[in-house]
Amino acid sequence: MTQRDFTERDIHMALDGELPGEERMAYDAWLEANPEMKAKSVRYIADRAALRAALAGVMDEPVPARLRQAVLGEAPARAPAWRSRWWLSAAAAAVLMIGGLGGYVAGIGGIGREDGADDQLAEQAIAAHVIYAAEKRHAVEVPASDKDHLQTWLSNRVGLKLVAPDLAAEGFELVGGRLLPSGEHGKAAMLLYEDAKGERISLFLTAESSATAKGTYAAEANGPEAVYWLDKGYGCAVVGSLPRERLSDVAKSAYGQLLAGISS
Amino acid sequence: MDDKKAAILSEIPRLRRYARSLLRDRDSADDLVQDCLERALVRLDNWQTGESPRRWLFTIMHHLFIDQMRKVNRRGEAAMLPLEAGEAQSAPADQVETVASREIMDALQAISPDRRAALVMVAIEGFSYAEAANILGVPAGTLMSRIARGREELRGLLDDSSRRRSIRIVER
Repeated sequence: MTQRDFTERDIHMALDGELPGEERMAYDAWLEANPEMKAKSVRYIADRAALRAALAGVMDEPVPARLRQAVLGEAPARAPAWRSRWWLSAAAAAVLMIGGLGGYVAGIGGIGREDGADDQLAEQAIAAHVIYAAEKRHAVEVPASDKDHLQTWLSNRVGLKLVAPDLAAEGFELVGGRLLPSGEHGKAAMLLYEDAKGERISLFLTAESSATAKGTYAAEANGPEAVYWLDKGYGCAVVGSLPRERLSDVAKSAYGQLLAGISS
Repeated sequence: MDDKKAAILSEIPRLRRYARSLLRDRDSADDLVQDCLERALVRLDNWQTGESPRRWLFTIMHHLFIDQMRKVNRRGEAAMLPLEAGEAQSAPADQVETVASREIMDALQAISPDRRAALVMVAIEGFSYAEAANILGVPAGTLMSRIARGREELRGLLDDSSRRRSIRIVER
């Protein structure tokens, strides 16, 4: 068998699985005999591994609702166009920290309505819940097993004395928490809880609030609902897809414990 | 839900990954995927049964991407974006992104879109040369040279990280 000459081109073919099997041994021998070519091959293999690693996380991300809707053709129920777009930007802001949300709403085609601070908080909380509660392995940054650290860290970042409420009486155990952007420059803490059936709820807390309000809020007809309250200096929303009554019970318990923690 | 839609749904994670490698910015990438899905649904009848949904969708997305790059180039904004966008993205949610990841993603954005698409299609998405050439609509020889040049360019950028910061690629 006459051996053909290999060239740099074969490095790419070998790397991409395009080198015929019967040439593999001769190619490997050629690589061994040409340290410079071997070094190139090694670097390309490392670069590919780095690229794959850099992009691997994308496959684990939950599929954004708007993409599912694009396929299923489901318009978000009872959500006016401006609302759904705002919701998208809120979801994005939770991830990428895009500037002021109020400004964004007002800026959409002149049909925008300046939402109240309470709606903003609730929408942000729902957006964060939709993204992270759906995550199996990456739902939280700090797990409940590291609760002390979680509380100290989030308290320092958010600027509130945070105590993760004990919701065992309501059937929920703490999963952990994460830090999120909130509003224009603020930060929010998200605490995630799970019950025995795997149903998740989240608490969304921020120190950025000047208004005083409370209420319930849902961004979509069948989506998760938020029970929220704002007080001078802090805002909190409890988000989940629970029956209203149960969600409200959880919220009351969380509220009492958080308030006790903050003012202690 | 019918089978075709189910098949399309299951390709979304891959489409998002490919779009992210092409555009880096998460929202822009998802916009591209959304455009792709919307166009696919309009043309659902063109999809031959038996044809791989993956190949079909990647082909649609590639056409959209190339169109978009041409439009951007006409506005002259071209590659100013990638490096700066990459640097501006050091926001909290990108914490997961390691320095190595950021470096290679920045470098990937700096190589020409044609080479980027060819390289990613084969090295990340695992298409064969024949499949990738078909999706990109170029002869196999062209595809191979794009992959080879793309890899060399990428490595060159990573080798010279000091130069990397000041690179401003001017697209054709």
